[in-house]
Amino acid sequence: MPLVQTEYLTKVYGKGETAVIALDHVNLTVNPGEFVAVMGPSGCGKSTLLHLIGGLDRPTEGRVLLEGRDLSRLDDTQLTELRRRHIGFVFQFYNLIPVLDAVENAALPLILDGVKPGAARARATDWLKKMGLGDRLANRPDQLSGGQQQRVAIARALVADPALLLADEPTGNLDTRAGDEIAGLLRKIADEWGRTVLMVTHDPRIAAYADRIVFLKDGKVVDETRLSGSSTEEAKRVMAKMEAI
Amino acid sequence: MNVQLTLALRYLSGRKLRTALTTLAIVFGVLVIFGMNTLLPAFMRAFQVNVLAAAGQVDATITLKTSDAFEVSVVGKVAAVEGVRAVSGFLNRAINVPADYYDRDPTTPDAVSVLALVGIDPAQAMTVHTYPVQEGRFLQEGDANVAVISASLAEALGVRLGGTFRLPAANGETTLTVIGILPARALPGNEEVLVTLPQAQAMLAMPGKINTIEVNYDTLDKARRAESERAILGTLGDAYQIGSLASNSELLTNLRIAQAIFSLLGVLALLMGGFIIFNTFRTIVAERRRDIGMLRALGANRATIFGVILSEGLIQGLVGTALGLALGYLFGAGLISLVGPLMMQFVHTRLGSPVVSPLLLFGSVIMGVGVTLLAGLLPAISASRVTPLEALRPSVGAVSFKRMAGVGFWSGMAMIALAVIALVTRNVGLIGLGSILFILGLILAAPALVNPIANLFGALATIIFARSGTAQLAEGNLSRQPTRAAITASTTLIGMAILVMAASVISSVEIGFGRVMRKSLGSDYILLPPSVALWGTNVGAGTELAEKLRAVNGVAVVSSLRFAPSRINGVAVSMLGIDPATYPQVSGLTFSAGDEAAAYAALGQGRNIILNPVLASSVGAKVGNEVQLLTPTGYQAYRVVGIAGDYLNAKIATGYISHANIAADFNRQEDVLLQINLAPQADKEAVVRALKETLKAYPQFRLINGQEYIDENLRIFNAAFVGLIALGIFLAVPSLIAMVNTLAIGVIERTREIGMLRAVGATRRQVRTIIVTEAIILAAIGTAFGVLTGLYMGYLGVQAVRAAGFPMEYAFPAGGVLLALAVGVLFGVLAAIIPARQAARLEVVQALRYE
Repeated sequence: MPLVQTEYLTKVYGKGETAVIALDHVNLTVNPGEFVAVMGPSGCGKSTLLHLIGGLDRPTEGRVLLEGRDLSRLDDTQLTELRRRHIGFVFQFYNLIPVLDAVENAALPLILDGVKPGAARARATDWLKKMGLGDRLANRPDQLSGGQQQRVAIARALVADPALLLADEPTGNLDTRAGDEIAGLLRKIADEWGRTVLMVTHDPRIAAYADRIVFLKDGKVVDETRLSGSSTEEAKRVMAKMEAI
Repeated sequence: MNVQLTLALRYLSGRKLRTALTTLAIVFGVLVIFGMNTLLPAFMRAFQVNVLAAAGQVDATITLKTSDAFEVSVVGKVAAVEGVRAVSGFLNRAINVPADYYDRDPTTPDAVSVLALVGIDPAQAMTVHTYPVQEGRFLQEGDANVAVISASLAEALGVRLGGTFRLPAANGETTLTVIGILPARALPGNEEVLVTLPQAQAMLAMPGKINTIEVNYDTLDKARRAESERAILGTLGDAYQIGSLASNSELLTNLRIAQAIFSLLGVLALLMGGFIIFNTFRTIVAERRRDIGMLRALGANRATIFGVILSEGLIQGLVGTALGLALGYLFGAGLISLVGPLMMQFVHTRLGSPVVSPLLLFGSVIMGVGVTLLAGLLPAISASRVTPLEALRPSVGAVSFKRMAGVGFWSGMAMIALAVIALVTRNVGLIGLGSILFILGLILAAPALVNPIANLFGALATIIFARSGTAQLAEGNLSRQPTRAAITASTTLIGMAILVMAASVISSVEIGFGRVMRKSLGSDYILLPPSVALWGTNVGAGTELAEKLRAVNGVAVVSSLRFAPSRINGVAVSMLGIDPATYPQVSGLTFSAGDEAAAYAALGQGRNIILNPVLASSVGAKVGNEVQLLTPTGYQAYRVVGIAGDYLNAKIATGYISHANIAADFNRQEDVLLQINLAPQADKEAVVRALKETLKAYPQFRLINGQEYIDENLRIFNAAFVGLIALGIFLAVPSLIAMVNTLAIGVIERTREIGMLRAVGATRRQVRTIIVTEAIILAAIGTAFGVLTGLYMGYLGVQAVRAAGFPMEYAFPAGGVLLALAVGVLFGVLAAIIPARQAARLEVVQALRYE
């Protein structure tokens, strides 16, 4: 069974003459363990797609099925629980709480879920070490580099053992090297830790780390391509596809 | 970790200045409420013990209806009644001294013919009276055959400390040794010989008996006092009676007015504090929308978000209240040290330290924490409603004036219109309601008015100092968030309104009271008793003093006041006896009804009375009405021939009758205050010397030059006025905090925009100018609304005081308005300092990347 399935997913902003169709009847399937990248020009609806799949927003038409559950039938409380336990988010600007340290930030989803502080901290520490931040546990966000902050955000996204990881331009605010590190981490998350990753990016080099790329334009899926590795050639192929769109 | 408390504490400590300023708002409110209300019991206690006790007067006296003696154990029953603070039981009997008992000289009149033997429990008695022993010591339990007497009695008896005197007693003549001497007796009535209770009981052959219990209550509240009285009578039975002395009511009136004013100021301060908290939390929620959205994205439910915001409020409420309590106590102590000397001079009363009751403590805590939580409630609810998506993609849209001129605006304008109509009616109740409508109307209409007013002030700002489009940017920023601007302006509104209202009342009082004062105290010299406002507690002089003063060369007119307590329709009244012929020459009442000359003439013929405005409105009497005065011999009908007041009795229900009538109906011939005019060519220095010589035998009077006394009072007025204005400015300080918050949030929300401005060439100075201009416009909006409200409230205040009977005329507070404008603009500039610096310091590239 696919982990994520969208059926005729549509999102329209505004009404009448000023209505903007951000997503136009998008059908998308993501299987467990897949690493899928969503690409497209600015304003094509890729972030909107991510938000709808993550239950952060509601569609105008169509539906999202996550592990077979129709998100449109869930109320706010159920969606909140879903985000807490089944989905991990990684954002472009990290969105760490500035007044908490790395462990506390990473432990947040567990704390919010009622896990005992000791156990939550232990699991968060574990994930942070996997992210290579074992020596930065007590640092606050303003004491970490961009790449380190994003790794804390990834640890936070994984601490509740979600099935799905949603990443919205996770390398958008990082330099090339840090961006590659993060993309590599996401790859590892899919390969070694068996999570499903859905990533939005505009960077072909980063997209090349994925198993499959879905291309959006004007709110519609216009192309898909499978990749065979994150090589320079693959990145060039992706870039060519982007230009063709 | 408890996520809510942890986040709350971390956020609070992450923004120390903001936290401090917000907490300060609560500290301030609690300080005023708590501090002011610790003063009142101190006043009450001081008056009771120092003034009333010195005059032998307490809250209530319990006796048997038959005046017979009763068991000592009754004291314990009375002490156990709720509301009773202090009790003293004693045995008081007049002892007629046989003729020539002391001087054994039939050819000379006896200095002492009657003595009051008073047997007291020393410990109990000292809880209701003060006994300022000049020589020796006071009575102690176990003393036998000793007495404490006054210096005047000692002199009359020809004894000194350690000497002895005889006293007829039921158990035979008793010789008492004088162990203590009190000051000369200044009250009318029998000289007292104070002995221990067992001593008196033995001397009067009344073992185990007393015949009077004096009681002091622990509250000023009429209803609770009445309740205590009922409880006492319920406990003792209807063989007993309770007498409350009428002169207390003057004091009670004053103290109640003070309590009402203090409490109102405190509540006002706390409400302003609440406004600040509300404004700050709105700022916090706006600043943290991204964090809040992220928390929601991670799975935090609404209750968690709500809890984080409210936890911050709770922490600040607790800390602020604790600090407010501590500072409030110090504030009270500080005020006492300032006011104490004035009290001593004016009302001859010594204040103690601030009094903290458990109820006040509890109430202040509830109010401080409660207001904070309430103020944080709406922002907390608003925060919990932030959706994850909304916070990730904030957007700010343009707002047009037309859209904002909706229901809120028109409702507000309708309320303002109604309030203005209420002004015209001159009805105090309607004007009071109108003031609430006025403020609410302004607040409702404000968001829609922000845009046009901002345009107006922006244009002014452009002309005055802000060029290169910065003024337009500033006004545009405010127009984008008119509700936020309106709420911030509302805080300034309250502060400035208080200032202007205080100025209105002060300038009106100065005119009204000033005129009355100059008329009342217009004599060349005044002989003042110790307590000017409390006639019943003063001992005066017999008519011979006035005769002696008239006999002094250079004295043209001597006129005196005499006092008796009475009641009209159950209302306690000060009856003042005046000489209708001489009084208008040295002083004068300010008439609001009735013909002045005819009224004075009528006083001298038959039972006619002039009522002061306070009394007239209390009993609802007009010129020509008949009123029933309660006298020692029963009710007497008097006809009202005028409504007029004088400065000294302006606050107290007072009636003026002739000397002849006060002597006839109240048996009072004691002069309690005298006023003297000199002859035109008199040698002032010589006259004053002669007056002082005459007054040597009357130490209870202070001779003062009339103009000096007026100046003295004006100084007190001015000190109070300055204090009120300072308080007004003080109360406006929270509005400064609100403005800082609003500007700060504006800077944060426009980070990218500021980055863009800098990128296209705006200098740091220009950026600062934008923020400062915005602040000044914001302040100008609030001040404009505040001045309007203050003028309205000031008018209301004056009408209300006039309705209560005090002579007042509305005077436009030009000075107050100018002061409010100056303070408002100054606050605007001060509020801009930190946010302007923040904005100017933004690094262009980082600002552009900010989302």
